[in-house]
Amino acid sequence: MKHLALFAAAIALLALAPMVLGGHGLSVMTLTLTNLVLAVGLNLVAGYCGQFSFAQAAFFGIGAYTTAIMSRDLGTGVWINLPAGIIIAGLFGLVLGVPALRVKGHFLAIVTIAFQTVVYLTLVQWTDFTGGQNGILVPGVGETSILGIIRFNVQSLESYYWLTLALAALAIIVAWRLVHSRLGREWIAVRDDETLAQAVGVNTTTTKLSAFVASAAFAGAAGALNAYTMRTAAPDDFTIFISSIILAIMILGGKGTFLGPIVGAFILTIIPESLGEFSRYKMLFFGVLLILTITFLPGGIMQLVRNARTRRA
Amino acid sequence: MTGTETIMTRPVLEARGIVRRFGGITAVDRVDVTVGEGEIVGLIGPNGSGKSTMVNLLTGELVPDEGTIRFAGKDITGVAPYRRARLGIARSFQMLRMFSSMSVEDNMLTATHIHMKRGLLSSLLNLPSARAEEDEVRAKARDLLAMFELEKFARRPVTALSIGQQRMVELARGVLSEPRLFLLDEPAAGLAPPNVDRLIALIKRMRDEFGISILLIEHDMRVVRELCDRVVVLDSGELIAEGHPETVVNDPAVIEAYIGKGWSRRAQA
Repeated sequence: MKHLALFAAAIALLALAPMVLGGHGLSVMTLTLTNLVLAVGLNLVAGYCGQFSFAQAAFFGIGAYTTAIMSRDLGTGVWINLPAGIIIAGLFGLVLGVPALRVKGHFLAIVTIAFQTVVYLTLVQWTDFTGGQNGILVPGVGETSILGIIRFNVQSLESYYWLTLALAALAIIVAWRLVHSRLGREWIAVRDDETLAQAVGVNTTTTKLSAFVASAAFAGAAGALNAYTMRTAAPDDFTIFISSIILAIMILGGKGTFLGPIVGAFILTIIPESLGEFSRYKMLFFGVLLILTITFLPGGIMQLVRNARTRRA
Repeated sequence: MTGTETIMTRPVLEARGIVRRFGGITAVDRVDVTVGEGEIVGLIGPNGSGKSTMVNLLTGELVPDEGTIRFAGKDITGVAPYRRARLGIARSFQMLRMFSSMSVEDNMLTATHIHMKRGLLSSLLNLPSARAEEDEVRAKARDLLAMFELEKFARRPVTALSIGQQRMVELARGVLSEPRLFLLDEPAAGLAPPNVDRLIALIKRMRDEFGISILLIEHDMRVVRELCDRVVVLDSGELIAEGHPETVVNDPAVIEAYIGKGWSRRAQA
């Protein structure tokens, strides 16, 4: 109950952000929340289930191109495109999950890099379908309604921010339920000891696949909505660099902890975007920070929080 | 139950003619092992005799090159480990294994997923029915932890416990999963003598109160003598003796396998 109250208060506070933030600030906040959904999703497979993945941006892209292509070819709106992005990204998550059943550790990391690269190259090369390097323009969400009851017009920066905030809130709730369900306990069991997990009756095959699917589905949702916010889907937004940023967010925050990727998303999106003209050195910043974190603070910021708590207790 | 073969009840586990080779080495060579309903069977033998290979064949981590394994009348020879667990085979590990990031209680609960009747969806949505089921299992877990004198550790991280206590968690976890057969792989290893007495009492209770049949792999001959209805002895992958523990330990072939040829002749003399 305490958790729920804190969560509601945080969302309410964030909903008020447009009152104090200008255009740039609001764009940064929208990006923060998008990164949050990506990192919370990555944490399911990499943090809880222990299956490393460098491919989160690929699923992000698959979600974005689902919106872009379906808007272009079928003329469907956000309430079709968003679930479609989730489902299609989830199916691709299953595709990546299959080799992950056979390889572990570094080898798995390499497989996910390969997957990420194949998706990126497909987006660039399949020009007829994906628009190639230029990508696809996406119409705005525009006037829409939830089940014809709550009507609203999504055009302004604020309204895209709120929509992204709603998605982030939903993602956090779904992630909370996932990791606190039986399935979440099985993910952790597979991460901790696969042999033991099998010995107590956990089907490690389906358990791992479910983590890949869930993780990809979160990225698909973020992508499907982000295509609207950006009004475009272009391949360079879905490179391995973006995957690395999401990974850095999760690791700096604390992988395998619930709050880690959430805290990480705020810190690692807001700080680099505030670097002003130094922001071109963003990747350098991420790289150095990632190395330092893994070396000196493998549990991330949440490890600091936990240490402080035990010291007080 | 004199020195001769005991007459077995309906077999729970029936492994026949099991052969397993690693390259040119035959680790297990035409071995038969059966465990009857409610029986405690010891599997002993010197180091490298094929005990561990046999355990891994029975749990499904290895698949035999020849032979069949039947469990509760069903052929399970090629069945995956997690399915065997679901059918009712629990195991403990020679090298202790724990879900190291979980609490003692969560370690136990993970072993009960196989019995959860409520669907995954109701668990995801945290429906009252799923919560009730989980509470019920939690209560059962607490009862068992009390039996193993671990109740005050329920919410502790499992790694905060001593190795001896973790061994007890391992047993409690196995019992909670309501198996028909429990494979205990050297449960007394690393236990202090007073704890070995407790272990013996607990294993007896597992059989008498919970009706669990047990296959016990053990080096500590006191444990074997006090618990086992029947003992199977392996040496170099072959079954060299079988019978009541007291008969078997005096069997010349067994003495020879353990301490060498010269000794056995002197022992016979």
